[in-house]
Amino acid sequence: MSPSPATRRRTTALCAVAGLAVAALTACGSGSHSSSGAAGSSAPPSDGVLTLGLNGDIGQPPDPDIYYANNGVAIIQNVYEGLVKYKDGAGTVQIAPSLATSWSVNKGNTVYTFHLRHGVTFHDGTPFTSAAVGASFARRLAVNGGPAYMVAGVKNVATPDDYTAVVTLKQPNSAFLNYLASPFGPKMESPTGLAKHAGKDHDQAYLSKHDLGSGPYELTTAETGREYDLTAYLGYWGQKSPFTTVKLPVYNDVSSLELALDQGDISGAVNALPASSQSHYQSLSSVSNYFLPTLGAALLTLNPSKSFFKATAARMAFLKMIDQDKLVSQVMGQTSQPASTLYGKGMIAGGADKQNIGYDPSVMQAYAKTLPPNTPMTVGYATGNSNAQKMAAIIVAQLLADGVKASAQGYTTATVFSWPADPTKGPDAFVDGSNGPDGGDPYMWGHVFWDKSGGIDYFDCDDPAVDSMLNQAEKTGDTGLYVKAAETYSATGCYMNLAYNKDWVVTQKWVTNVPQAHNIGSFELNFNELGISKAS
Amino acid sequence: MISFLLRRLGAAVVLLLVLTAIVFGLQKLTPGDGVRAYVGANASPQAVAAARQHLALDSPLPEQYARYLWHALHGDFGTSLRTHDSVARDIGSFFPATAELVLCSFLIAVIMAVLFALSGAIRVPGGFLYRGVLLLGATAPPFLLGLGGLVLFYAHLGWLPASGRGDDTGPTHLILLDGLLHDNAGQFTGAAQHLVLPALALAIAPALAIGRILRSSLDTTLATEHVRTARAKGLRPSAVIARHVVRNSLGPALSMAGLQLGFMFAGVVVVEQIFNWPGIGNYLAESIPVADFPAIAGVTLLLGSIYIVVNAVVDVLQALADPRITL
Repeated sequence: MSPSPATRRRTTALCAVAGLAVAALTACGSGSHSSSGAAGSSAPPSDGVLTLGLNGDIGQPPDPDIYYANNGVAIIQNVYEGLVKYKDGAGTVQIAPSLATSWSVNKGNTVYTFHLRHGVTFHDGTPFTSAAVGASFARRLAVNGGPAYMVAGVKNVATPDDYTAVVTLKQPNSAFLNYLASPFGPKMESPTGLAKHAGKDHDQAYLSKHDLGSGPYELTTAETGREYDLTAYLGYWGQKSPFTTVKLPVYNDVSSLELALDQGDISGAVNALPASSQSHYQSLSSVSNYFLPTLGAALLTLNPSKSFFKATAARMAFLKMIDQDKLVSQVMGQTSQPASTLYGKGMIAGGADKQNIGYDPSVMQAYAKTLPPNTPMTVGYATGNSNAQKMAAIIVAQLLADGVKASAQGYTTATVFSWPADPTKGPDAFVDGSNGPDGGDPYMWGHVFWDKSGGIDYFDCDDPAVDSMLNQAEKTGDTGLYVKAAETYSATGCYMNLAYNKDWVVTQKWVTNVPQAHNIGSFELNFNELGISKAS
Repeated sequence: MISFLLRRLGAAVVLLLVLTAIVFGLQKLTPGDGVRAYVGANASPQAVAAARQHLALDSPLPEQYARYLWHALHGDFGTSLRTHDSVARDIGSFFPATAELVLCSFLIAVIMAVLFALSGAIRVPGGFLYRGVLLLGATAPPFLLGLGGLVLFYAHLGWLPASGRGDDTGPTHLILLDGLLHDNAGQFTGAAQHLVLPALALAIAPALAIGRILRSSLDTTLATEHVRTARAKGLRPSAVIARHVVRNSLGPALSMAGLQLGFMFAGVVVVEQIFNWPGIGNYLAESIPVADFPAIAGVTLLLGSIYIVVNAVVDVLQALADPRITL
């Protein structure tokens, strides 16, 4: 049936209406970019709003006694403060004052005396005094979340006056200051607020959407999966910032995050971009790139419960096959450097914990010849970590060349953390592209990665002698014992410290003071220490 | 009608029970440990064990399932291991965004499908171009359409926003509706701008599927004797179509539309991730990798219920369109 003239007129009219609607939609409202300027650049905000994109939701409520995940530390460290912290802008781990201005430790590492800062108030107006120390520790123990272990060793907290807190431990612990300085360490919370909002769950419902901190910012919006907003606390004791509001929108797809950064709709991204995008952002004139030190690392762990790696000789042969320098530079670029120590970078003074594996691929080639043809093995990586995926693929290619029927396999986070319960369900080897200890003390590294009671010894490759050395060294801080523990663990062949990871931060050019605002322990920025370039 | 509704309700209960049983069974079969999401990935085995006990996840699975069903009957779908909030509250918070996106996408899909079918059945000038573009768009997966749309309309042209929904301050959290209710043109336009790209990305494939079925139906009906008779009697073409063709062609298209609407609720996961649309798709996508089974079960129940309701509505509409069909 051919259309009549009336039908043709109606069709034309409909098209015209559709066209007008499209024009109206694109002309009205904000359109797309929030800032002026050419694509790829943005002007500094005149309204004091800093917008930083989060790659994925923070994963848990922003409650300092619950939060034990990753990018939400950006909120915790800007809203809450502990007694001490890691020094901002430093390239190595250094304990620095925060709400304690000075401290002393007795010879036995059992009594820690803190002299507290005057003139500090919590966001609810409650003055900060020594009463907050015990209350905050008690709340952490009551909630009993992942980071509760940091105060589990506290016997009591004495408060001889309003600005002195004396913490006595049940056992000697030379790492206690590092526990307190950790981004997951106990933060001071308003005791008035804790009592007022305790409810039936020790303030957990309240602190999922609000805060009881003393930091430079208050948590004003906490919309899971959408956005978190911080507003400058006017009564803050420390450095004030030109940014009165910090918006942290959640991006669930990194491509969208990159587009927003390219268009200037967000001011920066911290530890959020894949290494494969480095060349793009290093060639973009509108942004600044920073590669800042962290405690994080890329690790390789082998599974002794699988037949391929049952023998120590097999594990050592595999580790010797890894061309660490080439693997790290090829995949991670400037975001990492090959690791040369068994602990994290700088944890043992002078690098006495040297990793002595040595690159010699002939050992694995010889070992592979002794195996039945097409012996299968799996190299695993966490899905979502593109660097680990690439490293796993390169390792697999090398194994295939040696005649091993290797394959790379991705695993979800939940699957990875189920392996300690049953290592036989895991792969033969696992490339952990990005992980790190809770703090800068060697105990916090060794315990968590090498002790099956620590949490991230994925395949339970455990040596009781190493655990005993670590526990003993924790009491005394004996560096020699830490080194011995590391060397003993290294001899198991279950572990290789692949790379010291850096925090790749990309910001619009007008954001200043980024390296000084960065914290080595948290991989995040102190927003109140950022500035705006005067040249903008 | 009442007996039809009662039969459907009974079937719905059975289906939802089966769905929850499958999800609970999957907990046992899949290797993930959701308790780690609750306490944090780096938590010690002791902390994980303590949390498992606190959450009563150390009891046998049948006991957990029975407890879950009992609480579900009282509107309590458990606590999300990730957000630490009640799953019911989480879903209540995220669902309006998905509902708005899917309903708008469905409306766009139906309009595009009708245009596709009519342009083919009654030979509208330029119709082949429209059908070709729709066919091309439908061959691309939604995530590719979404990313392509972002690159073109956001990054290069700067016409449309890349993410989010706009100003969500209204009582219904359906921002288009809230904008209309409050007579807030800015809110309405902002919401529409944010909706265009994700809605189109989600709508194109269903539009083609519905459109092809509708066109085939139209072609079949147009060739029938009663339509020839109507033309022979001198009725205008538009009257022939309106009175004798449309209603007789609707049956298969309604079935396909119902099916596609169900698929859209499932397909929304990818689109919401691309556009940072804060709906249950994103909620589910964040829950699956960390094995947050209470959240997964809650969303499964919701989507299952929606599918059941949609199919029931389609059956009623088909009966209304064709009196020969009895419910």
